[in-house]
Amino acid sequence: MILESYRQAAQTTIESLPGDSGDWLIPQRQAAVKQMLDLGIPHARQETWRYTSVDGLLSKELRPNHRVSDRPVERLDIAPLEEPVAARLVFVDGSYSPELSTGGSQRGYRLGSLRSAMAAGDQSVLRSVASLSGTGDHLFAAMNLACLQDGAVIQLSPGVVIEQPVELLHITTNRKGRHGQQIRHLIELDTDASVKLIERYLSVDDDSDYFNNIVCEISLAEGAEFRHERVQQESDAAYHLCRIHIDLGRNASYRGVTAALGGAWSRTELYNRFSGEGAAFEVDGLYAAGEGQLCDFHLKVDHAVPNCRSREAFKGVLHGAGRAVFDGLIQVKADSQKSEAHLHNANLMLSSRAEVDTKPQLVILADDVQCSHGTSVGQLDEQALFYLRSRGIDGHQARRILCLGFAGEILDRFATVSLREQIENDLLQRMRF
Amino acid sequence: MLTIEKLHAGVDNKTILKGVDLRINAGEVHAIMGPNGSGKSTLAHILAGRNGYEVSEGSVEYLGENLLDLEVEERAHRGLFLAMQYPVELPGVNNMTFLRESMNAIRKARGEQEIDAVSFMKLVRAKAKQVKLDEKLLKRAVNTGFSGGEKKRNEILQMAMLEPRLAILDETDSGLDIDALRIVADGVNRLRSKQRALLVVTHYQRLLDYIRPDFVHVLAAGRIIRSGGKELALELEEKGYGWLLEEAVA
Ligand SMILES: Nc1ncnc2c1ncn2[C@@H]1O[C@H](COP(=O)(O)OP(=O)(O)OP(=O)(O)O)[C@@H](O)[C@H]1O
Ligand SMILES: [Mg+2]
Repeated sequence: MILESYRQAAQTTIESLPGDSGDWLIPQRQAAVKQMLDLGIPHARQETWRYTSVDGLLSKELRPNHRVSDRPVERLDIAPLEEPVAARLVFVDGSYSPELSTGGSQRGYRLGSLRSAMAAGDQSVLRSVASLSGTGDHLFAAMNLACLQDGAVIQLSPGVVIEQPVELLHITTNRKGRHGQQIRHLIELDTDASVKLIERYLSVDDDSDYFNNIVCEISLAEGAEFRHERVQQESDAAYHLCRIHIDLGRNASYRGVTAALGGAWSRTELYNRFSGEGAAFEVDGLYAAGEGQLCDFHLKVDHAVPNCRSREAFKGVLHGAGRAVFDGLIQVKADSQKSEAHLHNANLMLSSRAEVDTKPQLVILADDVQCSHGTSVGQLDEQALFYLRSRGIDGHQARRILCLGFAGEILDRFATVSLREQIENDLLQRMRF
Repeated sequence: MLTIEKLHAGVDNKTILKGVDLRINAGEVHAIMGPNGSGKSTLAHILAGRNGYEVSEGSVEYLGENLLDLEVEERAHRGLFLAMQYPVELPGVNNMTFLRESMNAIRKARGEQEIDAVSFMKLVRAKAKQVKLDEKLLKRAVNTGFSGGEKKRNEILQMAMLEPRLAILDETDSGLDIDALRIVADGVNRLRSKQRALLVVTHYQRLLDYIRPDFVHVLAAGRIIRSGGKELALELEEKGYGWLLEEAVA
């Protein structure tokens, strides 16, 4: 039933595309529709969906074609970052907004929208769509390809370094009615290119229950350096699914930090593949979930070649009846010698009703490697609380200080100071601190 | 200032304090000595309000109030300070921020104005210098990865900043080198005044050479079995606790 309605919606989306000019990726989309039907709805018997039910997502009609709200965009009240940026690409309800965006392509790099690349039939962009993601490993990933409307295109030529960060700002104005927004970002750094991306997801209303379905493909060629600050601050009623594919060439490096604070249901899937030796992948993450929230992280790091380094450190703060899922898998192939891999997950439980399912795993087939993994689930330390209170700080404030201390280690990885501050404030507010 | 009467207390049905009587007036410095496990830290914790201890009998009056009825932070607001035997590590909590939050919480509770950032910085720098605490430690997380001696110095820094009415030092001198011992003693001596009192728990008479307490008490088997002047510490140094315990039993 649901699958059939998705199929119809996808077909309608495809048929409503302007087919007479440009290249709207019709064959790829048709293949993705077939994939949707083949894969079907994720269920709890599948390992990667064991703790994360999609029932809430399916319970209401989902309209996978985008629709921009008629709210005037100039009234959107979003505090900008204080730090200067090289460019700011703004997406409202999943569509690129040229009026709100600033900066753009320059000599040596392209910053633009996927929709305009499709309209222009620009093969230098379109040939890369789905090159890392394939048709889609689950229903929603396939749905993204079948119905994709827009997204960012970031391409850097060899040796190009963009000094100031590029900001990708997603604002959703949709309120009620479970609109789906199929967003796809394409990021390609050629040899020795370097840039930092700040990616933010914000809602205008606290109770918007839309569904943001995002796929992001990041290809880093030899020696390229990519830094990524990513924040999900959707409404407490929203659904957010983001699948990030990263491919690292020889000596390339990816350094990311992510914070997921919002959403009734949010899931981030991070897939990293090393395809050249000497590459490094590092990501730190913070998640928080309270009453009525589920926050899920799925990581998969594939040491397919020797001599690469990976490090992932994730921390979660669970309060109220909040739930979190952390599933991290690091694979080291048999001949991937001299690999270094470290995976860590720590959870702070502020309430007896909160829940976390955490499963960090290392599957190591090589013998000359340095690997570690660890996980912890704990409460605030009684001795620490006493210590703070004995210095005159009341219990509420003491808990606040200790929580921020716990989260701070990850927050400090946000080099963009005004963003770090803004996340900290949002975290405190969501936790009623 | 502080009157402890017939205090009986314990944990999990195990009685540790079995009738402690102690009276401390403003302007006085008291030292408590006693064998390991005799209940010195237990007494200090009960005074500071740490939970987990059960008071079955007796009373503690502090500045005219029933101390045992007050919340931990309320005791701090009223000028009680405990330098802990094992200072707690607070990962991720900046030492300087912690000090400032603490000072301001106490000021606010007293209806005073919060200290501004500039005055605070000046004060903390000056005090850190006094207790010879490396300024780098101010920027680190509270006690996290500090050496034993650095942790103790950090306690003395907090004491110097908060200027308590009644400071209790639980073995702040243990594990310190001779220079650090001097610093702890100086910290105590600097605080000495007609309005304040100090209670120093120690195993070493050496600290008392620098501090010169007005009274020395021996806590053993859950009670204060002997009180005297500074010379009592010298006697203990020489003879140990055995003879006192025997006398107490007899
Ligand atoms: N939470 C607890 N649970 C069980 N026993 C405890 C607890 N706290 C203290 N005790 C016991 O109470 C007794 C007194 O302990 P306390 O720490 O007060 O001794 P102390 O005089 O400070 O010793 P030291 O000189 O070694 O510091 C000890 O036997 C100790 O094991
Ligand atoms: Mg002790």
